[in-house]
Amino acid sequence: MRTDIPQTAIWAVIVGMAALNFIVRFLPIAVVSRIDLPAPVMRWLSFVPISVMGALVAGEVLRPGGHWSNPLTGPSLYAAIVTALVFRFTRSFLGATVAGMASFVALQHLVPRLIG
Amino acid sequence: MPDSIDTDEPAQPPRDPHAVRLAPPSGARFVRGLKLGLPVFLGYMPVGMAFGILARTLGFSVLAAVTCSATALAGAGQFIALSVMGTGATVFEILAATTIVNLRYVLFGSTLSPYLHGLPLHTQATLAFSLTDETFAINIADQRAGASTPASMMGVGAIAWTGWVLGTLIGSAGAAWIGDPARFGVGFAMPAMFTALFIALAENRRHVVIGVLAGAIAIALPLLSAVGIALSSSWFIIIASMTAATIGSVVWRED
Repeated sequence: MRTDIPQTAIWAVIVGMAALNFIVRFLPIAVVSRIDLPAPVMRWLSFVPISVMGALVAGEVLRPGGHWSNPLTGPSLYAAIVTALVFRFTRSFLGATVAGMASFVALQHLVPRLIG
Repeated sequence: MPDSIDTDEPAQPPRDPHAVRLAPPSGARFVRGLKLGLPVFLGYMPVGMAFGILARTLGFSVLAAVTCSATALAGAGQFIALSVMGTGATVFEILAATTIVNLRYVLFGSTLSPYLHGLPLHTQATLAFSLTDETFAINIADQRAGASTPASMMGVGAIAWTGWVLGTLIGSAGAAWIGDPARFGVGFAMPAMFTALFIALAENRRHVVIGVLAGAIAIALPLLSAVGIALSSSWFIIIASMTAATIGSVVWRED
């Protein structure tokens, strides 16, 4: 992971993110509260959130840190299953995130001993 | 909340005139929103801390990390910015990745907007700024129960913002003292949050199919490097999610 990112780049990202985040949040409210989006656009939008999360989770579990790794021999896949189950039954983001992190730490130590 | 006094109309004006007189003042509604948002505050604190710690490892100052959280208020978007930054992406690629991830707010905003008809633009702007996955979920549920007002939504937004910014401050300022964050599993905070959000957003079988498809595409795209097409990881997410959403909206043309 890079740690030599110039401060100007960091601040450019901060300012750009603030502006773009506000635009994507505000424009729909300002505009759509006055017009109706065409049905195909609404349908496309309805699939965007789940697609983004699917792509992110797959990348994090199968290519942690941007490199291929066997998910069966690492902690990520198992920790993701624990997270999903905890959220499924508690509907708590806090509980699921903490359970995921805790199981990740525990599995980092356990998985190599059980498999490797 | 000086604005809330003149703008604090219920989303649907009550028919019963007594309801107007009996409705609590905007201050009480704001406090009610704060209470509603308390789980979000508790959830954002540790994840905000994780963001603060990770931002420091990438070279963010405490001021930069806190400013980022205070102005963007974008959990997943901010983590993606960090992970894409760590791979040496350009500023444009970083902003493209976070923006595509935050495109879901277009849908959230569109879903909320019928409840925000007739509000002044500055009130809509304040509510838009505090729109996140969690505040959206809470406000939509509250609106379906008929209890939500602009003041209560601002209360939800304010407590969520405070948790996120305070967490970032503690994480970034205490990063050295907290030590190597890896031993707390902070590296898995982001994947865990994405996993929980995936389950939360999987409303029906179509969603699950399209979400899994997006994951498969995201995993297949790095294989293109074998034929000489090397994309940075932010583009895997962007291309995969846009392709899968397009397939979903074409396959299920009708409801």
